[in-house]
Amino acid sequence: MTPTCKRAFDEALLTGYLDRALSQRQSQQVRLHLEECEACNQFYQELTALRETALNTRFVAPKDDGWPELPQTTVGRFSRPLGWLLIISWLTVVTGIALWRFLSQTGDPLEIFLVLGLPGGFMLLFFSVLFDRLKDLQTDRYRGIHR
Amino acid sequence: MILSKPIAHEATVHSDPDSITDGELVLRARSGDRHAQALLSQRHRKAMYFLALQLMGNPDDAMDVVQDALVRFLTNLHRFDPKRPVRPWLYRIVRNRVVDLMRRRKVRRHDSIDATNEDGQPFMELLDPDVDLERDAGRSQLKARLWQALNLLTETQREILVLRDYQDLSYSEIAKNLGIPMGTVMSRLHGARKRLRGILEEDLHALIH
Repeated sequence: MTPTCKRAFDEALLTGYLDRALSQRQSQQVRLHLEECEACNQFYQELTALRETALNTRFVAPKDDGWPELPQTTVGRFSRPLGWLLIISWLTVVTGIALWRFLSQTGDPLEIFLVLGLPGGFMLLFFSVLFDRLKDLQTDRYRGIHR
Repeated sequence: MILSKPIAHEATVHSDPDSITDGELVLRARSGDRHAQALLSQRHRKAMYFLALQLMGNPDDAMDVVQDALVRFLTNLHRFDPKRPVRPWLYRIVRNRVVDLMRRRKVRRHDSIDATNEDGQPFMELLDPDVDLERDAGRSQLKARLWQALNLLTETQREILVLRDYQDLSYSEIAKNLGIPMGTVMSRLHGARKRLRGILEEDLHALIH
């Protein structure tokens, strides 16, 4: 019942009427009431205006490049760290052995350079990328999302 | 014969993505097809974003919710019945993520007053080019005031109002989404509209009379 409606009328029916969610009998009851009650009629018009306003509000979606990347799959989440772990272990062992042989003077320097140069270069590149990634991770808003 | 099926299937995915149903995409995405996952994501992310935006009031928070909801959607595809529509399920995930995020951060809905995001890009169109200017000015003002007034509603009032009046879901869809009886939808919705009407009484009066 609206403040000025003097009759016994369930005002929630106005919402149901607006949404066409009432039975035929209830709709008829509301229609007749609206014809007689100016207060409820005004209330109904205001509810209608609210709904129309919300319904006609248009929102703008981000551009195509504004969406985040598709999240990784379960396989990707496990296989990638495992792959990295294997590569790092291999590089560490190979570089370690080469370095040890180089320092202990048991190998030909050229031979050691050939072994050490490639993995050593990769390791430097790897650590530079790793350093950048760790730095990014500290400010990444989505860092908790893949867990 | 064994090979023909996957080839035809792959060709269909790449030639006419619109002709594939969500159910088919869900089945393919389940088996790890990244293209199907991407298509599902592209097909529904805009609707998910709008719902999150309307519930949270802020485009950056909405984007966080979409990302989080997509992760949950794609990692739980095995629990989804591909015969059922995807959208209601996604809406339920979005709604749950919004509730979680707002509770975790202990924040209320907050909107961007000038309807722009961090980059200054508008996320809401206040002016409708198809309507006459004098009337549309009142409508635009009401749109903006209504958007801000959503902050003053309770969480339950806001979500039911967003689902009905912004998303235009039916009462049965709302009942399923919120996990409430059909009979409760009308009374709760009326409570929310009545509260809004109280907040925006002057604007409504100026617009109608």
